[in-house]
Amino acid sequence: MNKRVYVSICLAMLMLLLAACGGNNGAPAATEEAGNKGAEESEATQAPVEEKPVTISFMHFKSDVTDGVAKIVEQFENENPNIKVEVQPVKYDDYYTLIKTKLAGGDIIDVFTLNSGGQAKLFSDGGYIMDLTGQPFLSSFDESVLKGQATDGKNFVMPINGGPIAVFYNKKIFKDLGLEIPKTYDALLEAANQIKAAGKTPFALGWKDGWTLGMWATRDLPSLTALEEGQTDFFQKLEVGEAKFADNPAVKVTIERAKKLFELGNKDQLGVDYNGAVDLFSKGEVGMMYMGTWPLLDIEKKNPDFYNNDLGYFPYPFSNDPALNKLEFNPDASLAVASNTPHKEAALKFMAFMASKQGGDAWVNNIKSLSYVKGSTTSIAPAMDELQPYFDQGLTYDSQIYFANTTLDWSTQFSQQLQKYFFGKTTPDKIIAEMDDWIAKNHK
Amino acid sequence: MSVFKRTVKNEFWYVLFLMPGFCLFALALLVPLGMGIRYSFTDWDGVSQSLRYIGWGNYKNALTDDDLWMALINTFKYAIILTVVVNVLSLLFALLLDSYLKFRNVFRTVFFLPSVISIVLSGFIWSYNYSTGLPKLFSFFGFDNVTSPLGNPSYALFGVIVIAVWQGIGAPMIIYIAGLQGIPQEIVESAKIDGAGTSKTLWHIVLPLLAPSFTINMVLTLTGALKVFDLVFVTTHGGPAFATEVMSTYIYSSSFASYKGGYGMALSMIFFVVLVVVTLIQLSVFRRREVEV
Repeated sequence: MNKRVYVSICLAMLMLLLAACGGNNGAPAATEEAGNKGAEESEATQAPVEEKPVTISFMHFKSDVTDGVAKIVEQFENENPNIKVEVQPVKYDDYYTLIKTKLAGGDIIDVFTLNSGGQAKLFSDGGYIMDLTGQPFLSSFDESVLKGQATDGKNFVMPINGGPIAVFYNKKIFKDLGLEIPKTYDALLEAANQIKAAGKTPFALGWKDGWTLGMWATRDLPSLTALEEGQTDFFQKLEVGEAKFADNPAVKVTIERAKKLFELGNKDQLGVDYNGAVDLFSKGEVGMMYMGTWPLLDIEKKNPDFYNNDLGYFPYPFSNDPALNKLEFNPDASLAVASNTPHKEAALKFMAFMASKQGGDAWVNNIKSLSYVKGSTTSIAPAMDELQPYFDQGLTYDSQIYFANTTLDWSTQFSQQLQKYFFGKTTPDKIIAEMDDWIAKNHK
Repeated sequence: MSVFKRTVKNEFWYVLFLMPGFCLFALALLVPLGMGIRYSFTDWDGVSQSLRYIGWGNYKNALTDDDLWMALINTFKYAIILTVVVNVLSLLFALLLDSYLKFRNVFRTVFFLPSVISIVLSGFIWSYNYSTGLPKLFSFFGFDNVTSPLGNPSYALFGVIVIAVWQGIGAPMIIYIAGLQGIPQEIVESAKIDGAGTSKTLWHIVLPLLAPSFTINMVLTLTGALKVFDLVFVTTHGGPAFATEVMSTYIYSSSFASYKGGYGMALSMIFFVVLVVVTLIQLSVFRRREVEV
């Protein structure tokens, strides 16, 4: 008699277990239905009478300015009380791994940030993101910007913010040593050497984080390759195995420059991370730092006096021909909508808000970067005013377009090889040979 | 037939109680393993929904991949050094904390505490110690040129090993202490009566009887160390200059950073075989040295 009781208890437990496992799948389906129904109803009756509240998820890689993004999202929520946004900030280094596994695993993230170019292509080829071409909110961007961020002629991502990547410098150190803003690469080195001779650190490098060294290398190298050497399609050819690092004289130059930077950097270059470097620089002991506009908020918080009076910003002079040294201006985050989103309407509303003047200004004011929305404000920091002439005269360029639409990630490999060279464990020729070996194994 | 029926009837209960565990095991291990094997024969990039079968291509590439050998060498270097150091240290601590020491419970707790902290957290703590804490401490005593070992390819692996030792000593120590307490006192006493000194007792009585603890600790630390991922990932990401690139970080970076999901799977399979072989060899070697009481 007891046995029967046990069996039924066991069965009940098993059922519970299975039910608990299956429960997750049921819930989104239900809300999806509700969402669709809501959408249909509102279309049918025209006047949106009390739409059902929906929650959309928004994942982004601007985790260093999590608070700023939260404020932007708050503004959107105030405008649209029926839509709640669940924000998930992720550190950039882990972002693409996380989002790829999530999407491949069938999770739904309604709206997320992407980088235009290679990443956008990867996701659109995989069928994960919605084609936004022709959406009304795209009209708040310049035609050229939209074209620059298009993937195979279609707009899968909407540009939000962008910014210069240039060299922050300490005006006080420059003034004390009588240094001019360097207009050529040699002048930059000369200035750095003088700062070093004066007992200060010339460059703040946070190369413990992979991306900081990678960011420099993936701008110096294409700039030199395309503008100095004239090999504009080098990286496209590299992707399909038609070009080799050995054919590109710029590679050796970049390798030697990396070593120079390393030697002129702060102590423990590969042990200090991005935050550490910003810390060092904010203290006012370091001459220069190659970086985007991201640390502005941090510097202001850490040393407001320095931020307001002594912080300057100049374009990185990659060439010795001053005419080539324009201001590097790159898109930062772009937004994409998942193709499988059950809340299409809410997600598009979110996009429309980000594309509006209000949304554009929100990005500028809250995270101190520049917005691509037409007419949004550009004055974000005293240091930025120095770059105004470059904006006014259109003296900007984007080195990233030289490997737009390529997905081969040579920069990680290259950075690691550079690190070997810093410690004398390899030679430039060996690096080039090993990179070409790696390309041969990995090209499409 | 009736015998069979009776067996089924009698054994059915055991099978029934095994089912939940087996289902979990199958869902969490066997199914993914099977899927992984399938992917390892494709050129899947890790994202797209289409894939192409390429036979043994991934495995052929792997065998000629210098980076794989480098990662394997780093992994074994890390694992062997770590296993030896952890076991020696935790055995010493166990012997010390098993003797009649005042406050020995306090010390046991203190030495076990690092094991309670999550690996990710201790990775962050130590990265900070290395890059900020220790240099400041040393500059206080007048040494200004101390830099983080994690930033130098020659020392990075040792920097990681130090963290792993600090973190990994607790559990083996507990096992050794338990083993020591399981040694019958009469054997030790009779050895003493026979005139054996401390070192002779240790060498001929205690250590042989401790062999089972030794086996389990060696196997646990070695396999754990071979599979290390989290610690390396949070402290160095496999850098600088590949100095700490171990198998699992290499698999991770080839599957996710280089978009070679299929190749990453093939690497995982190779590594799986390596792990199984190492564990089997190790178990058979150590089992032979155990003695029964």
